[in-house]
Amino acid sequence: MIQLNNIEKYYANKGVKNYVLRLVTTTIKQGEFVSIMGPSGAGKSTLLNIIGMLEEPTYGTYEFLGENVTSLNERKRIELYRNHIGFVFQAYHLIDEMTVYENIEAPLLYKKIGSSERASRIADLLDRFNIVAKKDLFPNQLSGGQQQLVGIARALAAQPSIILADEPTGNLQSAQAEEIMELFKKLNQEDGITIIQVTHSEKNAQYGNRILHIADGVVKEDINVA
Amino acid sequence: MFKLNLKIALRNLWKNKGFSLINIGGLAIGLASCMVLLLYVAYEWSYDKQFSNHDKSYVVYQNMEASGKTFSWAWTPNVMAKEVQEKIPGVKYASHTTYPRKQLITAGDNKINSNAVFADQNFIKILDYKFIEGNAATVLKDVNTIILTSSFAKKLFGNENPIDKTVKFENGDVLKVEAVIEDVPANSSLIFECIMPWALFEKHQSWVKEGNWGNNMCLTLVQLKDNNFFTTANGLMHDIYKRNQKDNTSVALLHPLTKWHLYDDFQNGKSVGGKIDQLKIFLLLAFCILLIACVNFMNLSTARSERRAKEVGVRKAIGSTRKSLISQFFLESLLITFIATVLAFILIEVSLPYFNNLLDIKLTIDYHNGPFWLTFVGLMVITGFIAGSYPALYLSSFEPIKVLKGFTLKTDSSASVRKVLVVGQFVFAAGLIICTAVIYQQLNYVKNKPIGYDQSNLIQIAVVGRMNDAAKIELLKTQLIEAGATTNVTTFSTDFTEGGDNTTGIEWEGKNPNEKISFNHRNIGYDFTETIGTKMISGREFSAKFPNDTASVLLNEAAVSMMQLKNPIGKVITFWGDKKLTIVGIVKDFVVESVYQRVAPMIFRVNGKDDARVIIARLNPNQNISSSLAKIDDLVKQIEPNYPVNRKFVNESFEIKFKNEKLLGTLSNWFGGFAIFISCLGLLGLALFMAEQRKKEISIRKVLGASTANILTLLNKDFIKLVAIANIIAFPLAYVIINKWLSGFEYRVSISALPFVAAVGISVIIAVLTVSLQSVKVAKANPIDALKYE
Repeated sequence: MIQLNNIEKYYANKGVKNYVLRLVTTTIKQGEFVSIMGPSGAGKSTLLNIIGMLEEPTYGTYEFLGENVTSLNERKRIELYRNHIGFVFQAYHLIDEMTVYENIEAPLLYKKIGSSERASRIADLLDRFNIVAKKDLFPNQLSGGQQQLVGIARALAAQPSIILADEPTGNLQSAQAEEIMELFKKLNQEDGITIIQVTHSEKNAQYGNRILHIADGVVKEDINVA
Repeated sequence: MFKLNLKIALRNLWKNKGFSLINIGGLAIGLASCMVLLLYVAYEWSYDKQFSNHDKSYVVYQNMEASGKTFSWAWTPNVMAKEVQEKIPGVKYASHTTYPRKQLITAGDNKINSNAVFADQNFIKILDYKFIEGNAATVLKDVNTIILTSSFAKKLFGNENPIDKTVKFENGDVLKVEAVIEDVPANSSLIFECIMPWALFEKHQSWVKEGNWGNNMCLTLVQLKDNNFFTTANGLMHDIYKRNQKDNTSVALLHPLTKWHLYDDFQNGKSVGGKIDQLKIFLLLAFCILLIACVNFMNLSTARSERRAKEVGVRKAIGSTRKSLISQFFLESLLITFIATVLAFILIEVSLPYFNNLLDIKLTIDYHNGPFWLTFVGLMVITGFIAGSYPALYLSSFEPIKVLKGFTLKTDSSASVRKVLVVGQFVFAAGLIICTAVIYQQLNYVKNKPIGYDQSNLIQIAVVGRMNDAAKIELLKTQLIEAGATTNVTTFSTDFTEGGDNTTGIEWEGKNPNEKISFNHRNIGYDFTETIGTKMISGREFSAKFPNDTASVLLNEAAVSMMQLKNPIGKVITFWGDKKLTIVGIVKDFVVESVYQRVAPMIFRVNGKDDARVIIARLNPNQNISSSLAKIDDLVKQIEPNYPVNRKFVNESFEIKFKNEKLLGTLSNWFGGFAIFISCLGLLGLALFMAEQRKKEISIRKVLGASTANILTLLNKDFIKLVAIANIIAFPLAYVIINKWLSGFEYRVSISALPFVAAVGISVIIAVLTVSLQSVKVAKANPIDALKYE
């Protein structure tokens, strides 16, 4: 599904190249649950952002679903966001002015999905995540864990084939974090959604089936979890 | 999506009530100011355009050269209309009319001094007033008829049908009411309450019957069949005087009716503008105010960009295009503009009566007027788009990765754009302060300039009816003084504060025979200088002691210097070709016409039998004014009981001379105030933004030991710099503009440093106050609040 070839990312500063990623080559297949780990500043988030097409690599090629997407125009990229990629952020990034319901609805509106279909999908998601009672609340009226649930529900609304999560539990207490990770695992196993997450926690990484260890921009280890 | 965006926009408004209030308030004031000014401009613009063929109608102007200058006015001989109608090709109608003047109209016990014109039938064809009753085709044929306006008819007859009822004209002729027309619109050059036939005028003033190309006594209006005839017609008009009277050097021209009001300033016989210049200033002001309100909106919206940035990032990550974000932000600005427009509408409705009262005009919102709504909605949409353009483009340009990673606002281009915007606002505000200050200085200067006589406690009584008799006036004079109501009484041949007769028919020894010099020509009574409070420079004034004074003449100082007479007393001048008059005294110059122009040369002759138009009296300073006035009214009534007493204070009528400049002053004061207020709101927005942006810096400084005062200085310094820059830019601009305005006056203040100092002072103080409102909060905040989120 994802094919990265010799991805490099550096920032040139007064002629000195500061490498963030060096020659990253890897393949991620449909249905995998990959955790990217490594110390602070290793380039984990940058790698995820490149996969999410939020950043462009300085060098190397990137194929998504067999298509070269290394540098994509805005229209095509948005097309991919609408149909294939769902983002989950550490800081949730819900839109404060929208209710839970509207937050989940927003991607569907952008995807131009009919109103009855929208309603049934949202109802389904609310039901599945046990947040039906919260649908008319605003994000600031929810706990962190609940906000992240909404964040995931929003990512799932467009029925993406892949979810990119940047430290999804970084701001959460451990009990809530466990709940979220269980949810990811379930989504991966039951719905076959590809998940790539960046995490600091060894424990969270264990929920997935593959771990990429990165240090100083280089993939040090690529382990399959049993 | 649209519905959701609308909902979000409303929630945003509600959530940030303070911001919304500033935003909407600023826009509403801007829009309301703009609309009121536009209403005013439209009001002035539509002067004399109520008539069906206004674009084909013309006013005949006369250019006359005298004293080396060309004088232009719409006064023409009575025979002009006939000549034009018969000899000029392409003329559909030509009419002669008197200018409106006060005439006594009586119906039963209702005695009303009304504004009346005498006109021929063509008059109502050229200016097709709307007839409510009566037939426009048959009116003004019979001598003893009258046309009333509807409100005047109501005044005379109440709710009764006035048609075929009779009124009395000047207590003499009985006139039949033939027709009732709608009231003359307030924005007409000719304002009157009734029209009477020209024949009646001729009947009363027998000299009118005789055609005389030398006597410019009425208004001539012309309507062309088609404007294609204009060039030829106007060309033929040029020499019309010469063709009919050999030695007449006057030149006639056709001036469009639609330009009569706004382009009334003539130089060298050509229209060079007039009130239109003032109107252009107001139009500019209207749009500048709206523009600052828009700038304000931009400032405030982009200042809040940090809050909105996250939303933009998220929306982009879940599949929003930039286009849809732009339309979302435009939707928000249009929504705010819509609310502001509604508010502006209320503001306009509430303030219009006050505004009308202030400017003595009649502005109304015409709800059935399509163009009005079109303008209103158009203005709203344009404002929404201008105001929303920068925020929409700026906010939608955020890259999701940057804002989602943790947004830090840099002192980037957007901040400098905002600075430029604020500087722009303050340039305008400072410029307005300077201009307003100079306008007021000029007004004060002219008002306080000696006018050559003492206005206070001076009253003027119109001579009407039976008072038109020298003996009666003499009697009244004695009675007034004996009663103790007045100390001095004299007479004058025209209204004391208005223009009047002038003549070029004066010859004297040493005069260049080819030069025509125009003199104001007035007749005065005895005891003139004492009454009006001026003095003789030399010689004596007219007095009953000198019965031969009919052969004497007085000059004012301006006349003496114009005539270049060394020892004027005793010299003889020739008046109107045959009268020899001896100069017996020189009167100090005093102002009767424009206060802004030098006093024109004037000659005075003694009042004859019945040529006194007004009695001028000085109230007794030792008496209670109201009882004096009551006594005066009483005495006048005794002599002429059939007329209402027409008495006024000279200083009140003198005030009217300042009307235009006062209006300009008042308007620039008010709207300048609004502009400054709106600019302040913009500054407040910038201050909010800066405070938010520098929260962390300030907190660190505080942790390092900076006091609140230190921080305030730090924050204010930047803004004072901006305001200072704005002032520096405003100075030359304002100087050029105000200098141009002043150059229109012969008497004017020299531009001093004061208005400029005032502009700097006021703008800096206002800026500091506005900024401190916000920065105090930041400076006093607990540093940990800002630092802990890092």
